[in-house]
Amino acid sequence: MTEQDWREQVRTLLGRAERLEPGEAKVMALEEATRLADAHGDVPLAYEVRDALIDAATFGGFPDRALVAFAWCRGQQKKDPERFSPEQLLWKQKWVVGRLDEFPHISLKQIQGALEDVEQCFAKAGAGQRAVLKLRYQVARDMGDPAADALWAKWVEAPRDHLTDCRACELDDELDYHLDRGEYEVVLKKARPLLEGRNGCAEVPHLTLGTVLYPLFKLNRMEQARDSHLQGYSLVRRNREFLATVGEHLEFLTLTGNVVRGLRLFERHVDWALEHASHRDRFTFYTASLALLEQALVEGHERVELSLPRAFTLYTPEGAYPTRTLRDWLAAQAEGIAAKFDARNGTDRFHQLLSRAKHLGNEVVPFPIDASLPS
Amino acid sequence: MDHRFQVNLRGVIELLSHHLYSTPGVFVRELLQNATDAIRARQHLEPGHPGTVRVELIEKQDGGLPTLLFSDDGVGLTEEELHRFLATIGESSKRETLEARRNDFIGQFGIGLLSCFMVCDELLVVTRSAKGDGSTLEWRGRHDGTYAVRASEHPLERPGTQVFLVARADAAEYFTAERVRQLATHYGGLLPFPIHLTADGRTETLNPAPPPWRREYASVAERRKALLAYGREVFHTDFVDCIPLRAEAGQVEGLAFVLPFSPNFNARQKHRVYLKDMLLSESAENLLPEWAFFVKCVVNAQGLRPTASRESFYEDATLARARESLGQVLRQYLVDLAHSDPRTLQRLIALHGLSVKALALDDDDFFRLVIHWLPFETTLGMMTLGHYRQTYPSVRYVTNLDSFRQVARVAAAQELCIINGAYTHDTALLEKLPRVLPDARLELFSAAQLPQRFEEPTPEEHQQVARLRQVAQEALEPFRCQVTLKKFLPVEVPTLYGDVDEGAFRRDVERAREETDELYASVLEGALAESQEEEEKPQLCFNLLNPVVRRLARVRDVAQLKLSVEMLYVQALLLGHRPLNAREMALLNRGLLGLITARLDEDEGTGGVH
Repeated sequence: MTEQDWREQVRTLLGRAERLEPGEAKVMALEEATRLADAHGDVPLAYEVRDALIDAATFGGFPDRALVAFAWCRGQQKKDPERFSPEQLLWKQKWVVGRLDEFPHISLKQIQGALEDVEQCFAKAGAGQRAVLKLRYQVARDMGDPAADALWAKWVEAPRDHLTDCRACELDDELDYHLDRGEYEVVLKKARPLLEGRNGCAEVPHLTLGTVLYPLFKLNRMEQARDSHLQGYSLVRRNREFLATVGEHLEFLTLTGNVVRGLRLFERHVDWALEHASHRDRFTFYTASLALLEQALVEGHERVELSLPRAFTLYTPEGAYPTRTLRDWLAAQAEGIAAKFDARNGTDRFHQLLSRAKHLGNEVVPFPIDASLPS
Repeated sequence: MDHRFQVNLRGVIELLSHHLYSTPGVFVRELLQNATDAIRARQHLEPGHPGTVRVELIEKQDGGLPTLLFSDDGVGLTEEELHRFLATIGESSKRETLEARRNDFIGQFGIGLLSCFMVCDELLVVTRSAKGDGSTLEWRGRHDGTYAVRASEHPLERPGTQVFLVARADAAEYFTAERVRQLATHYGGLLPFPIHLTADGRTETLNPAPPPWRREYASVAERRKALLAYGREVFHTDFVDCIPLRAEAGQVEGLAFVLPFSPNFNARQKHRVYLKDMLLSESAENLLPEWAFFVKCVVNAQGLRPTASRESFYEDATLARARESLGQVLRQYLVDLAHSDPRTLQRLIALHGLSVKALALDDDDFFRLVIHWLPFETTLGMMTLGHYRQTYPSVRYVTNLDSFRQVARVAAAQELCIINGAYTHDTALLEKLPRVLPDARLELFSAAQLPQRFEEPTPEEHQQVARLRQVAQEALEPFRCQVTLKKFLPVEVPTLYGDVDEGAFRRDVERAREETDELYASVLEGALAESQEEEEKPQLCFNLLNPVVRRLARVRDVAQLKLSVEMLYVQALLLGHRPLNAREMALLNRGLLGLITARLDEDEGTGGVH
């Protein structure tokens, strides 16, 4: 390949990636471009491509790819801070570090180390504490660390600065706290500007519309819940970054007794879960699916017809599965992930979540949804 | 008597022009909307009332700025309504209030009028209600917030409303016959009552109702020609076909035009949508099921809701049902083609294969109908699945591009026809095959298994290559690469690097770990600990039919042999477009220097360099 050829090819791949929506194809194009640049030893170009790759992987559901590309960039940045400005990497560092706890094999010590490092890097860049406090709160919440409440209080009080997330994202993240405490009215009140489109960004209201489903359901605002499901699912259904949000939609369909619709969602998205690098997102999807299959059994579906991917352990070409077998498989997956996380975190949060999913059937209030699924 | 609004009118106008409206030209839409609402309200009172909208451009004799007059014979306003309307303006200081107000007749009327201040400083409204005592009222408002209401000195003969706009100097461009005609046609072209435009002493009707898809045509061919011409006029595109659309939910009707080119994958088409005969948006995206991105549509809906920004339809259960019906119409079009005109369908698949594949994925009957016409990339070129299955008993495929590339290097010589399932939908379609067509045989092919198909060396050959095998195994062990020796075609290929599915990514991780700092090197190890537990190793397969490999087997100098093996390994990586990690790069450098040195030694030994 001549000099001209491969550079042109990298540019073509970058151009193609730019036109693609977030997702696997985009990540694959940028990975290919990265490998070309690496193969020809062009460090600045490889850095530029990885810069785009981190974004695409972060917003396209490949946190492992984002982490690896970030680690490489960080190495280059440390070696040559003149050429690669540290500022540029700080945003990405936040994205990457915020997801480390979703890999069960990363130790607490490594996570804490990475958080300390964020704090130092941000301080050097003259930023305040707000961004790192939010990261610390979210990691603590994910891990079931009792320190989460105190961190929340510090986070929301800290002043905003040039490195804090956009208002829409922050507001959306605040919802989790109220959801955990059962403050459903507060969730809906805070979510309003997001749902009305006054604040928005790449992932809001996509995430928000999933978060409000349970509060709406608990407050018996079924019509609004249904519309949130319809609108929200159509926003998230093509991007595996939203695997956990799809889980929230599955949970809602279970709670409202829409088992058939739920099964369609399950068969459509289980391949994301099988391969997803975030075990936390897998867990959310599996536990919601588990509740769905329990509900299917309650409704007397002893067998379910599903078109599942070949990579699925129990795959059969005929596409008919005993409901109990699927349920047991899901329970085993969820239990396996919960065990790893709880062992690492030294808490029982994931087992608690799993237990909640297993008892979700007690809360079911039928509310049929007859709209077609977007294809 | 002059009054002042309770609000800063300038603020409201700012709000309107910066947040609600994309261009000042929308004042024409707003005035048409007001006229439409008024006429419909009157039709409600007096069924059979035809309704007419008149637009007149009045030029000043002295060359001053022109006046635009919008009049309708709708329901008109009573005094009480006029005051409610004024109150509305007073409250309309927030965007949300404005949006909410749109939902009632009076609110919309007031907000619509306010939009006129984007192009004029003074507005005169003369109105006579069909419900009131027959008196005529006039309201004169100014952009600075002052207004006056009084009984008109020029009473109207019939109920209706007239709106006079005096052009503002910097907005004079909106007060030409051409611009008014264009805007009124753009927004109101489908209105079911006539819009007459009077300018330059002539009067014309702007909307030759009914809409094109409702008109009568002399023949099917005539109709097709006229509708395609309409499509060209609206979208400036020469479409290949045109499909009538209809959905009961939302009372939707219109046309879908088949694009003459392949759109970007999942490029959501922007459709032109009318709501209750008025243009809502030229860029609505959520009208059709996602698979149907091969058409652009013009539709008119009577029963859907607009979003707050009035740019699209609101996502609710009615829209979901309408979308399903429209999807069914498009599906039926494809099904009919499959039965009546397969050649046209095949041409359509060539252009819009992705749409057809997406539908087939979700719809078993449709899948059965079209799957054999769908094209796939194979190691022997593009072919339809039908063609493939006629030739090969079992459908063999790989799921990612990397595997496909590895297989493709030797596939032709091996007469292996493998489908590349890496493209959108392809793997999912193939995996659906045995479920929908029980006689189909499907085989997932892995590049890593490729050497298993190759011919084993004879026991004699085994002995001959024992040294090569041992040296290669030792040389490549540090690179976690296994060694096999087989015989395969083409003979020109000395080695084949066979990787596992995630192999390329694992190599990315390796390079990142070499480059990054201590903290992240340890984090990477943690992140990927699991995938390494189940790791299969890549392998380098030597081709004993290759002359170089055959000669290597005879080399006695172990150091020389090791060097050659290492170079073949690096070459195999580079041929597979795999960037080298630091250790492999060192190998390459050492190897090249070694070869040069060896060559120089040889030369010196035989008489030196010239």
